[in-house]
Amino acid sequence: MAKSLMIVDDSATMRKIIMRTIRMSGLDFSSIGEASNGAEAINKLKEAPVDIVLCDINMPEMTGLEMVKKVRAEMPNCANTKIIMVSTESAQELVDGVIKDGANGFITKPFTPEKFQEKLTPFMG
Amino acid sequence: MLDTIALKDVLLAGAKEVFETMIFIDIAECCEPDRKPEGEKLLGSITFKNSIKGCLVICCSIPCAKGIAINMLGMEPTAEISKEEICDALGEVTNMIMGSIKSRIHDSIGDIQVSIPTVVSGRELESSLGEDANKITLRLNIEDRDIMELSLLYKQNPE
Repeated sequence: MAKSLMIVDDSATMRKIIMRTIRMSGLDFSSIGEASNGAEAINKLKEAPVDIVLCDINMPEMTGLEMVKKVRAEMPNCANTKIIMVSTESAQELVDGVIKDGANGFITKPFTPEKFQEKLTPFMG
Repeated sequence: MLDTIALKDVLLAGAKEVFETMIFIDIAECCEPDRKPEGEKLLGSITFKNSIKGCLVICCSIPCAKGIAINMLGMEPTAEISKEEICDALGEVTNMIMGSIKSRIHDSIGDIQVSIPTVVSGRELESSLGEDANKITLRLNIEDRDIMELSLLYKQNPE
């Protein structure tokens, strides 16, 4: 069964680029939702959890790091939701920290369709 | 101590990585020092701080930025695209090049904190960090048609 996806990024252009890259990667999703920051994503996830969230880090209102912590601590309905960070930040300490806080993976910008395929395929089964 | 020549190489490598991966446009360093972006331009900037502080500035003509945005979004070359989307795309390009630079200089100077990018438009756009700032400028040929100017301005933090 195809998975559901949410893309969280404050840039509308980047959300479109991610969608395009997903199409190019050949990955198939039953639905793709969007949110422009962590707070908006949380509100949408409360209504309808998704299987996978692709999330930027630096966003207004609520950062991706704050969102991960909140989802893992306060939202049992998202216990099975995989959260993959997508960011220009690449410092190993930050990557290790966000994984420790509950993210399931990290994709660095700039990215390729092949990178999306590599990082998301383990969660598509 | 930062090596100016090495930083210019880092700037070029960062730009190439982003252009090849996300924009699908070939770029090359422009060897004509008098060639600059013309007409009304967009200027994307992003600041950074820690052991060094400063900003990365990217400047190009609006048609050049439009071509970049259209390529990033996979649109037809003649497609309509809003100025807002063009600015958003240039901001993301600025952000990603800065991220690439940051990861390449991490071993030399440690982590630096980076701001959210901003984009402005105008005809006479210049960037400055004061007379005591270092400035590295790189001009790129975009598809042998347009010129993009990248400038890295910085000061070493004495603390």
